Amino acid sequence: MADAIQKKLKVELEKYTQMQKDVSKSMSARQKLETQLTENNIVKEELDLLDSSNIVYKLIGPVLVKQELDEAKATVAKRLEYINGEIQRYETLLKDMEKKSEQHREVLSSLQQEFQKAQGLAIGKV
Amino acid sequence: MAVNLTDLSLPQLEGLKAQLDQEVEFLTTSIGQFKVVQTKYVEAKDSLNVLNKNNKGKELLVPLTSSMYVPGTLNDVEHCLVDVGTGYYVEKNVEDSKAFFKRKIDFLTKQIEKIQPALQEKHAMKQAVIEVMNVKIQQLQQSQQSSQMTKA
Repeated sequence: MADAIQKKLKVELEKYTQMQKDVSKSMSARQKLETQLTENNIVKEELDLLDSSNIVYKLIGPVLVKQELDEAKATVAKRLEYINGEIQRYETLLKDMEKKSEQHREVLSSLQQEFQKAQGLAIGKV
Repeated sequence: MAVNLTDLSLPQLEGLKAQLDQEVEFLTTSIGQFKVVQTKYVEAKDSLNVLNKNNKGKELLVPLTSSMYVPGTLNDVEHCLVDVGTGYYVEKNVEDSKAFFKRKIDFLTKQIEKIQPALQEKHAMKQAVIEVMNVKIQQLQQSQQSSQMTKA
């Protein structure tokens, strides 16, 4: 009896650690997005300060390519939109994972209690 | 923080200290990085001073690679190309470029000023935790000694 529960406990524990790993992975991805968001916001601010007398270049590989200011602005705006969407996506994903790990923790603790009880019984029998 | 530090057990304090250690280190490296970038901007702004009318047409050596230079003449002293981030470069006149660097330097100064109090606060908290830990350790040692005495 105790052995079976222990096996189950081990499996569940492995699942749980895997879940924690996924959570931290998503966390760091979200953090990276946050950094990109700030970076792009700074670029947007700079581009907004420019007028048509300024020439904008885009670095593509090692080459600087001339680009229209409006085009650059549109690109950055689109990027910001994308990043914000991604952050939202990760936010819901993380919330979902949080809920799941909460449930999992409960399963784990009840299993642990069961295991302890079974162990106590086994010792009592001997 | 509503929790009284003296109510916590030694392992809990240990954990708290480790967490504070991490936070202090993170903030310290952040400030260090800000300062490095800020120096870069200050240097860039200073080197813009070379681009003035007096130096127009002067000869200079242009580094093609880190070990090879070719002669050139300073033709345009009004414009330079500034990296504004994420791969975008903007051609600005010298005044605008200086304003750009000044903006960046001020921005970084503000960020550093924002972080500094947080760092100090974390540092003070860490110090408090260490103090409480020391007191607890001493109490523990004393109680151990006295129990040994009664045994003997």
